[in-house]
Amino acid sequence: MKFEELAEKVQGTVIVPNNGAEITSVYTGDLLSDVMGHCGDESALVTVQNHLNAIAVCTLAGVEAVVICHSRPVPDDMREAAEREGVGIITTAMSQFAASVALSSLEPSVK
Amino acid sequence: MSPAGIVSRIQEAGLGGFALTDHQSARNTPAVAECARRAGIAFLPGLEVQTAEEVHTVCLFDTVASALAMTDWVYEAMPKRVNDPETFGDQPVVTWDDDIVDMEWRILAMGCRRTIEEISKKVHELGGLYIAAHVDRPNYSVFSALGGIPENCFDAVELSRTADSSIWAPKVEGYAITRSSDAHNLDDVAKVWSEADITRFDISSLKEVFLSKSLQISPRLTKF
Repeated sequence: MKFEELAEKVQGTVIVPNNGAEITSVYTGDLLSDVMGHCGDESALVTVQNHLNAIAVCTLAGVEAVVICHSRPVPDDMREAAEREGVGIITTAMSQFAASVALSSLEPSVK
Repeated sequence: MSPAGIVSRIQEAGLGGFALTDHQSARNTPAVAECARRAGIAFLPGLEVQTAEEVHTVCLFDTVASALAMTDWVYEAMPKRVNDPETFGDQPVVTWDDDIVDMEWRILAMGCRRTIEEISKKVHELGGLYIAAHVDRPNYSVFSALGGIPENCFDAVELSRTADSSIWAPKVEGYAITRSSDAHNLDDVAKVWSEADITRFDISSLKEVFLSKSLQISPRLTKF
């Protein structure tokens, strides 16, 4: 699934585009140590972690798109890091469960 | 931030004492302790431990040896993945006169697998004090991760430099409140502070100040 389609599926607002990126799997988690241990590449991360370190973890894991739930605001330093690292950011009013269900056509992400 | 740079900034600001609490590591406390000693400024070595719950917590000690023992114990429960300097930055360990003696290989931005309760027990066994860091912040705080303050673990709570203490005081009732700069660069050193009438800047004095709640905190920053 392309980044643009993923943004549509979660009825999201694109904060940092990553157009054309191919996303094959999804990981849902708010504990970043768990995300780093288990989330694979070409993935989307569904989370409420709206801060800079979330982008660092995405970079290491190979996450192409972060879906920030409950419309949490994206701070400037997080947005800038995502632009620099080529990680897309989408915010959605959905919960983590609802966003995961909306993306259920994708595979569960594994490392 | 070189050890000498930190110490001279503390001197300029007129603070009586300070602590170094790097994330997950006290390996630079020997260097800063030596600079502080040469300058005649009181210093407490410590570290900011990111717990299994992804909460930031501050550990303070009287001696560098205790802070390093705590670091070893935290390191045992850190991920074995090697730091990528491009993502998380370099992690030099320096001498008092700023020579690099080692590059820490662990990812110090990551948490450890120890829980708050385990860490509290260990800090106190080593004679230290345990403080819940920046409790007002929306990430990595006891409130953001756990919704409240775990009982019988912390000696005090810390407010960040922008926190409004009139809003936060009722939420942390029963705990002594500190405010510290959490400085990540020299410009931020000593922008906020905590004050108490003590003759010695050490763990037992701070413990007494925390118990008697005789600590004053500086005004918050409203712009920076």
